[in-house]
Amino acid sequence: MTKLKLLMVALLCTSQFLWAQNQSTGRVVDAKTGTPLPGVTVTVKNRNINTLTNADGSFSINAPGKSTLIFSYVGYLPVESAPGNALGISLTPGENALSEIVVVGYGTRLRKDITGSVARVSAKELANTPVTSFENAIQGRAAGVLVEQQGGKLGQGIKVRIRGSASVSAGNEPFYVVDGIPVVTTNLSSNGAPTSPLADINPNDIESIEILKDASAAAIYGSRGSNGVVLITTKKGKAGKTKIDFGYYTGNQKPTRMPEFMNAQEYVTYMRQAAVGAGKQDFKAGGYATLQAAIDAENSFLESRLLRYSAGNTDYQTYKVSTDWQSMAFQDAPMSQYDLNLSGGNDKTTFYIGGQYLDQAGIILRNSLKRYTGRVNVENKVNDWLSVGINMSFARSLNKRISNDNQFSTPLQIVALSPITPAIDPRTGFTSGALDLATGLPNTNYPVYYNPMLSYEAGLYNTTVNRTLGNVFGNVSITRGLSFRTELGMDQLNQNEESYNGRLTRRNSGATFGTGFNAGDQILNINTNNYFRYNTHFREVHSLEATAGMSYQNYKLQSNSVSGRDFPSDDFKKLQSAATNTAYSSSETQYSFLGYFARANYKYSEKYLLALSGRYDASSRFGQNNRWGFFPAASVGWIVTEENFLSHVNWLSFLKLKASWGLTGNAEIGNFASRGLFSGDASYGGNPGTRPSQIPNPDLKWETTASTDAGVEIGVVKNRISLEVDYYTRKTKDLLLNVEVPGTSGFSTQLRNVGNLENKGIEFTLNTNNIVGKKFKWSSSMNFAANKNKITNLGGQQIGTLNVAKEGEALGVFYSKEFAGADPANGDALYYKNTLVNGKRDRTTTNDYNLAENVVIGDPNPDFIYGFRNNFSYMGLELDVLLQGVYGNEVFAGGGQYMSASGSNGFDNQTRDQLAAWKNPGDITMVPEARLFYANGVNNSSRYIYDASYLRVKAVTLSYTLPASLTSRLKISSAKFYLRGQNLFTFTKYPLWDPEVNADYSATNIVQGRDFYSVPQAKTIVIGVNISL
Amino acid sequence: MKKKFIYISTAFLLIIGTACQKKLDINPTSSIDQQNALNTSSGVLTALNGAYFDVGNAWFYGGDIGLFADLLGDAGELRWNGTYQQMTQMYNKAIPKNSSFVASQWLQGYKAINDVNNVLSALSVVDATAKDRVEGEAKFIRGSVYFDLVRMYAKAWNDGNPANNPGVPLVLTPTTGITDANKVTRNKVSEVYDQVIKDLTDAEAKLPATNGFYATKYAAAAMLARVYLQKGDYTNAVQAANRVITSGKYTLTSTFAGAFPASASAQVPNTSEDVFAIQVTTTQLSNDYYTFYSPSSRGDIDIKPAHLALYETGDARKAFFTTSGGSVYTLKHNSRYANVRVIRLAEMYLIRAESNFRLVTTVGDTPLNDINKIRTRSGLPALTSAGLDLNKILMERKLELAFEGQTLHDIKRLQGNVGLLPWNSPKLIFPIPERETIANANLVQNEGY
Repeated sequence: MTKLKLLMVALLCTSQFLWAQNQSTGRVVDAKTGTPLPGVTVTVKNRNINTLTNADGSFSINAPGKSTLIFSYVGYLPVESAPGNALGISLTPGENALSEIVVVGYGTRLRKDITGSVARVSAKELANTPVTSFENAIQGRAAGVLVEQQGGKLGQGIKVRIRGSASVSAGNEPFYVVDGIPVVTTNLSSNGAPTSPLADINPNDIESIEILKDASAAAIYGSRGSNGVVLITTKKGKAGKTKIDFGYYTGNQKPTRMPEFMNAQEYVTYMRQAAVGAGKQDFKAGGYATLQAAIDAENSFLESRLLRYSAGNTDYQTYKVSTDWQSMAFQDAPMSQYDLNLSGGNDKTTFYIGGQYLDQAGIILRNSLKRYTGRVNVENKVNDWLSVGINMSFARSLNKRISNDNQFSTPLQIVALSPITPAIDPRTGFTSGALDLATGLPNTNYPVYYNPMLSYEAGLYNTTVNRTLGNVFGNVSITRGLSFRTELGMDQLNQNEESYNGRLTRRNSGATFGTGFNAGDQILNINTNNYFRYNTHFREVHSLEATAGMSYQNYKLQSNSVSGRDFPSDDFKKLQSAATNTAYSSSETQYSFLGYFARANYKYSEKYLLALSGRYDASSRFGQNNRWGFFPAASVGWIVTEENFLSHVNWLSFLKLKASWGLTGNAEIGNFASRGLFSGDASYGGNPGTRPSQIPNPDLKWETTASTDAGVEIGVVKNRISLEVDYYTRKTKDLLLNVEVPGTSGFSTQLRNVGNLENKGIEFTLNTNNIVGKKFKWSSSMNFAANKNKITNLGGQQIGTLNVAKEGEALGVFYSKEFAGADPANGDALYYKNTLVNGKRDRTTTNDYNLAENVVIGDPNPDFIYGFRNNFSYMGLELDVLLQGVYGNEVFAGGGQYMSASGSNGFDNQTRDQLAAWKNPGDITMVPEARLFYANGVNNSSRYIYDASYLRVKAVTLSYTLPASLTSRLKISSAKFYLRGQNLFTFTKYPLWDPEVNADYSATNIVQGRDFYSVPQAKTIVIGVNISL
Repeated sequence: MKKKFIYISTAFLLIIGTACQKKLDINPTSSIDQQNALNTSSGVLTALNGAYFDVGNAWFYGGDIGLFADLLGDAGELRWNGTYQQMTQMYNKAIPKNSSFVASQWLQGYKAINDVNNVLSALSVVDATAKDRVEGEAKFIRGSVYFDLVRMYAKAWNDGNPANNPGVPLVLTPTTGITDANKVTRNKVSEVYDQVIKDLTDAEAKLPATNGFYATKYAAAAMLARVYLQKGDYTNAVQAANRVITSGKYTLTSTFAGAFPASASAQVPNTSEDVFAIQVTTTQLSNDYYTFYSPSSRGDIDIKPAHLALYETGDARKAFFTTSGGSVYTLKHNSRYANVRVIRLAEMYLIRAESNFRLVTTVGDTPLNDINKIRTRSGLPALTSAGLDLNKILMERKLELAFEGQTLHDIKRLQGNVGLLPWNSPKLIFPIPERETIANANLVQNEGY
């Protein structure tokens, strides 16, 4: 068969070309080990002639006499050679950035020939990162890609922004594609804390992640491309001996940072101070004959409450009990992962079979995740014109979850409990709050709040996901250079959420006999891609690659849920046993996209590059009038070092200039957003009801982003130093905007195409091979990106409170009052008036919050983000250190309104910094007078805004690979041991938990940079081993 | 051969594309297009039912209308211990104009108004047998909502000249799209009251005497009695209250506690004295009085000794409290699935008594008899005519209706004080929500904000 193929190739070549043909033969081996390499691509440079090496590494190819042969193989540096007989080619493992194959939409390109902006993160960098989801693993590794995890809960939503936020009300997350198929990213969580379906993907199955950043790269995805595209390619087998890889790591996780709270003595003293403060206010408000009478009344109230929260005894007076509640919210968090992969094949069939088990405990109480994943990727060459294959993965995960950050039951709200309250109530011997001896039921007002420990003892919230993701494909070679590919993909996700809150949780759940909840979601996402690919070279200097085809996606989500209460006992956790049904629902929603696309890449003489692409896209989400959109893009490149005039400049090994322009769209809105709707969710008194739910907007259309990118890629000293710099602008128009409308209309918002925003930025990536010795090697990679986001027009709208979308500002800036500290005279919270008087801000202060003007008091968007990786290797030892950081962003610590609040919220324990509260006239302090239950400076203001810049030692890996002499004696091909730390150190001025935070329950495009009892990030240390047979 | 491949592949691609194009038309399954919602009589009836759902939302008659007024009108009889800053601000009489609770209540009120405006716009398709009832119910809701909005967001009727004071915008037609016409201005307080009285009077005329738990003729009359009392129009108040009492449709429960039946796990039907109550079922709507007043729920509001001291010995209402962990809570709202009482018959007796007393009339009955009816139900000795004065009547009213959202409005009507704040202090009026003044520059903000 191979002979037949060769014969055909030979015949074709003979008929096509007039010059002389020579048969080149030879063998390709690994330069290090000398083992033959099967499946190596052998190409004749600038010709459409290629073949693969056989199982013994041999090849035979017809090449013109003056041509050049290129040998390329994934994971090896390509080699060029003149044709000849019995050539001995050895390939060195390693990657040369310029010759690496980069996956782009519906095809691949050589890095050197790319005119757009594409970042790539390879398996080597991703492998064995001790995190749940792969997005974490790319943090700090790609320029211009901001990755922010909301907090330290497992499987939680992760914010990814590629070159800034392009939209106000539509989606801002990138478009994710796995092996050519768009995947489900819908958050299906029912408890207000988003989860990410991307956590179902095993990061160790990933061969590479390509991030399409500019329009010329992303426009092939048309209406889905505005936020960038993330292409995930999974591992494939290679012809040759079957390789068996085993991996294992185990370790432990801890919170990165913890703030300090008051101890019992500080708390009691502070609360007494707050009672006096409150008494003064009571007296001012009237109702008391003397100031002392008012203070006495507050004092007696306070002491009665302290007695209550001290479990009914006077221990609080001697500070005998001083509970560190915060530490109780965290748990010991071991983490282990097991991988077993087999890959191999022959020249007909290649396969990759992978399996993984991840067993991870969360750092926060009750949180854990177990995930099983499996993958089979197979490709078979049926004959010389047809190949077929399948990439299929399944995942099953069980995530034991906790409430969202805004619930009394979320573990970290435990910090609100008074330190004078004992963990175990001495009156009962049970957890405080578990039993009120007077009623025989859980306490209703002891401790001060519901004790989250009770949810740990008697509550569960389990999310189980079954996911099947994959595609089948066929590839037909029609004629030389022309092929047709058809892909049918399916992403099927079934989720079950089950919750039970037992009798102990009564104070929180409101039910004496338990509450239960069950929800099921079923997603079927079908996608097909059908396209032609054509490539040709003519007259030696022209090279053309073209792609054209269609793509269709249909997504359907069916959901149902039911809640009940009153169970026979806590042994019964299923709703079958619930006496009362308290909520029920089922729903279905659907969308579809249909697109036709085409792309042409033209190269002239290896110097001049031109790429054109266009996509014509339609979505069910838009009305008939504006259903179709067109998204063109163009880019050019000039490889200057190919010019003769630079041929003598030896130090400059590579120089490319490139520029691109393109339009992309954003359609990430509700499925029926253009319609005027009455919803049927309004039954009353047992009879059905409907109500207006949405105002129509038949003119609704795409939001469009016009992007330009100009870049330069430089390689010097034989590419030992390479630099890539990009400047870009992204201008979004016709923003899909939830416009705030007068509430008197019966509606609060309407989705309209209003407004413009822009992102401008600069990115650079600098890779250097600092030391390339025989034994010692040191390489560095630095990336930096500064993005400036600005809303240029919102039609006069201002959206949101605190975090706002506002003309002239970046999306989500904090817009509120500027706090001015405590009034030295009386301890009142003061605010700068900031009213505009003759174009100047009035910097006098007021204690009347309503008299102060809102001003920009912070920005949740960083000025710049960066990553800096260093890799040192000496013989088998390797040290890899990744630093990662963000700079110039602020966080609003919303929890401060309760825990750093001058006693305004009553008996919440306070952060220790509140001890600096105003006490006597003349005191100069930023902490207003403590006043029990009097809001003194706790409204939204810059009082709770903090600089959240940070620099993290993100990942440190120290590994040792056994020498080949030893492994060959052990009859294994390689073995590596490593010690790895994730988030080892965090340098920041942020005073609370972790600065990388966004409270899960409130996170939106606009609401960013909030901290509200959010779980900090995990610091992880693991030890691991990888063995290949 | 090769050409055939190209033809086949191209055809394949185009066939799939054409087939998929049809799949771009997808209809929702849990909503319908607005143009199809009100075409039929049953469509309008379900939309009317949906309006009850919206007006019964916790932000409005589901409790917050009364709850917020209780916090704003309190001076030392109850204690707010909760964590919602927005409610702390109300309790402290220091409300920022960006309060999200103030905005939510406003939005919910106008949502209900738009619901009923939709219903009223489609009366022509309603079956003749149901038409009057539908119109009456819709107008009952609209009149009631405007009355409560104007009480919360504007100066009191008796504060200066209501014909000059800005009230709330009157929107009387359904919203089908948004234009500049939706940037409405505030009508005067008197204009709003006029509309309220017009709607409720219409409603009373068109509604049937019995209508299940939905609004009846007498629910409209009862709400009118409340409106007239707020205006100090005792002549009309006494008549309206009398119409409710003499209808014979309602009777006081035999005990005070009987007016507030409790069940931990199931809905409790209206009592014989409920003139209008929001229906809370185990699956739809919630009772926010319960959420905040009940120790079985958040228990964020406890009752101070100053209030407990107001009751006479032997008053069954004095015993209608519970102590938990050293704090005292009212038992009025101790049932999770209790209907939210909007108007009870007892209030009608109190309105009739007060109005008759002031007018020196005996419409329906003497003030003494009416007051004694309320007193004896709670186990108190009957008063003699010598022992009856206006203060006694007002105290009876205060105690009977405590924690039901009346205090603030009574203080304003009677020109009393909330602590040191006079009844007409701007701090006792909600701001126009900041989101509204931003979305609609035609809205004038209230004094003091």
